[in-house]
Amino acid sequence: MNQQRDREMHELAAAVAGGQISRRALLRRAAMIGLSAPVIGGLLAACGGGGNEETEPTSPAGEGNGSTATTEPGETPSGGAPSGDRPVLRFALDAADLGTLDPHYASSTPDRTVVDMIFNALVRYKPGDSSQFEPDLATEIPEPEIVDGKQVWTFTLRQGVMWHPGPQTESYELTADDVVFSLQKSANSDTSAYAAEYTGMTFEKVDDYTVRITLDTPLSPLLFLPKVANYSGGFIMSQRAVEAMGPDAIKTHPVGTGPFMFQNYTPQNTIELVAWDNYFRGAPKLAGVTLRFMPDPSSRELALQSGEMDVVDGISEARWVDKINAIDGLTADVFGVGEVTFVNFDMSREPLSDVRVRQALAYAMNREEHLALFGEPVAQSVYSVAPAELMAGGLTREEAEQAGVAYDYDPDRAQQLLAEAGVQNLTFEVVTSELDSYRKHYEALQAQLAKIGVTLTVNVVDHPTFHSLIRENVNPIVIYIAFRPNPDAYFSQFFHSDAIVVTGPKPNTNFSHYDKVDDLIEEARAETDPDRQVELWKEINTRILQDMAAMPLLYINQVYGRSKRVDYGHELKSSLALYPQITELTTITG
Amino acid sequence: MAQAEATLPSVRYVSQRRRLWRTFTQNRAALVGLAMVAIIVFVAVAAPLLAPHDPLEQSVVNRLTPPSEGYPLGRDDYGRDILSRIIYGARAALLVGIVSVAFGGLLGTAMGTVAGFRGGRVETTIMRVVDVMLAFPDLITGLLVAAVLGGGMTNLILAIGLTIAPRFARVAHGPTLSLKNKDFVEAARALGARDGRLLLVHIVPNVAGELLVLASLWTASAIRLEASLSFIGLGVQPPTPSWGQMIRDGTIHLTDVPLFSLAPGIALLLTVLAFNLLGDGLRDALDPKAQA
Repeated sequence: MNQQRDREMHELAAAVAGGQISRRALLRRAAMIGLSAPVIGGLLAACGGGGNEETEPTSPAGEGNGSTATTEPGETPSGGAPSGDRPVLRFALDAADLGTLDPHYASSTPDRTVVDMIFNALVRYKPGDSSQFEPDLATEIPEPEIVDGKQVWTFTLRQGVMWHPGPQTESYELTADDVVFSLQKSANSDTSAYAAEYTGMTFEKVDDYTVRITLDTPLSPLLFLPKVANYSGGFIMSQRAVEAMGPDAIKTHPVGTGPFMFQNYTPQNTIELVAWDNYFRGAPKLAGVTLRFMPDPSSRELALQSGEMDVVDGISEARWVDKINAIDGLTADVFGVGEVTFVNFDMSREPLSDVRVRQALAYAMNREEHLALFGEPVAQSVYSVAPAELMAGGLTREEAEQAGVAYDYDPDRAQQLLAEAGVQNLTFEVVTSELDSYRKHYEALQAQLAKIGVTLTVNVVDHPTFHSLIRENVNPIVIYIAFRPNPDAYFSQFFHSDAIVVTGPKPNTNFSHYDKVDDLIEEARAETDPDRQVELWKEINTRILQDMAAMPLLYINQVYGRSKRVDYGHELKSSLALYPQITELTTITG
Repeated sequence: MAQAEATLPSVRYVSQRRRLWRTFTQNRAALVGLAMVAIIVFVAVAAPLLAPHDPLEQSVVNRLTPPSEGYPLGRDDYGRDILSRIIYGARAALLVGIVSVAFGGLLGTAMGTVAGFRGGRVETTIMRVVDVMLAFPDLITGLLVAAVLGGGMTNLILAIGLTIAPRFARVAHGPTLSLKNKDFVEAARALGARDGRLLLVHIVPNVAGELLVLASLWTASAIRLEASLSFIGLGVQPPTPSWGQMIRDGTIHLTDVPLFSLAPGIALLLTVLAFNLLGDGLRDALDPKAQA
């Protein structure tokens, strides 16, 4: 359920592009076998945690009356009085170590999990329900105005929002300066991974509590608000802290305004957060959150069962959900947002350039089997890459069948198509990530293709290497797992010729080298009539399937296990941060 | 003459080889090891006859089902028969174990004997390299080499072979130092034998016994290394069955389908045990001090 987040892995991928395996991956693998643990421990100790304070001994993970709210220089708690017996929530992350806690770079699930608790944004997705926006640092969600032909959004900020004290900064009140600084940082490709999202936008301070954002081209609220919401570049960082600490130190000591304040980080072990009692929505009900790095799923499960952990990242399998639910006192949460798994065919190379060959491979794929690898309700079959099950503009099963693009399992048809195309003894060689979520699909595909006489040679590599290799166009067949908030994002990134890997003008994730719907994608993006827009999106989905640029298989939900004593404080339907979301209202009862 | 001969006490001449065999067969553990190795080799060779199912045949809908008729150990992640995969897994284990030791053994022996025989700068260079390689635990060396070369059977064999080579070099080096000054070597040299011949005909055979013991012990380690590297995904590539990979794939289901991990684990345990017993037996038989 974890790092399979492909999202914006470019960076990580690029970092390891050189070798077959990165140093960290190597170390992580070595660490997995335990034997070498002392060696690695020594190594990492020698390298040092790089500027993070580990002065305070870690409070034992036992029942938490340990970390009561720390006192901050020059501040008196104004919210609810912190009491000494609040519990500490213990949370197991599916990762061996931290990536970065700079929210403008954080992209893996564990990183997003941590920054979500520390930072705020102008608006936020309602906790536990990513389909609704609500004000966060802003007092309300504004209506856009058109000024001189440009769209202007004016945000009024809450007063009295206090920054966490940082290692080099005292707590101070958030103002428009911070907001403008932070959004400009997000828009700068040198300081943010999400700069492309902010092109054509200017940010200015009107007064201490008012920020004006001007857009060269108007956007609907549904396309604009995500940019200033609590996700990726929308998180607001402290100007003083970032300037005082510099871009590197901030990665391991984030300074935010959220309900939990960063306390310390022990590499490959824990991150400790403590309650920020000056939080503008009131003091958290928890004394803090201890996040432990536990990359091994069995260990997480055992830790949950033994009561050592309160919440753990789970395994995306229905049988795991059933197993956890059957245990007294535990429950498994299955929630959105779902990530779509689809298979891209590189049509720029023989013999995949023949549509019949691509269709043959699609007919050879058995959705039922891929679904059975995970089981319902954790996974659901889908019939278009931007699926109807998750968003408007997707094709339902019926719609796909009507259009003749459902591609139900039909090996005879597959063989017939191959014969028509006149190809024999097809062989493909691909790399797959070692992660189960990818490897299982590739191995299932391998067996399915074998049935129609197609050989698929699969080489397993570690996850970052996989991401860098597929972006170098190594795989003729790319299985990808991705969440995108709307069809436009899927189409622009996977099926617009601009985004073709390696050779496109803005190489992104168009692995299929598909270039036949560019105009439709652009037309749909600019369409202001929502019904017409949905129609266009359906048409694009259909075209992709007719040309078999990619075969949609299923979407997978997020799965977490928790002790029933944990009350998140909100209903859990979907979360863009891909974890159940821990807020000031989260508590542990009993 | 004839009389004198008759009065001599009869001395039964026992050949070296027969004495070895006798010592070996008196060692019950060694015999058990030999038998087990024979059985494992048989299983690997006769895998297509013994396996009840195709080890690659998937039936995802029936994934992770418990033992049932026709599937005595149950089915794995993809609905494949676990027993059949264990049987075929013996092939990967033995192939990697034996070929990598053969490769590492030849390379190491060549390094060790040449170093010992030549002396001087060649010796210093080779043996210091060996020292450096020996400084790392075998798993770490294997990990490094495999990480650089990438996964796959051939690379795995290379990785394990390179890991093992310095151990053979070290063992071959010592005896070569003393052997090269022995009279029979001098004699051969006096007769005009060249270095290559001296090494191959006169020195290597005299080191072979010890190397053989080492080889059988390292076969066990090589099989274990194969499993370890496959466990972390650097080994044999899917869908080829490998015990290490099966153990890894099973760990996630350890609580509900324990046989998925345990069965290949037991197969691995028995195989490593078999080669260790055999190796110990050979060592006892070849070690003059251990003989009664």
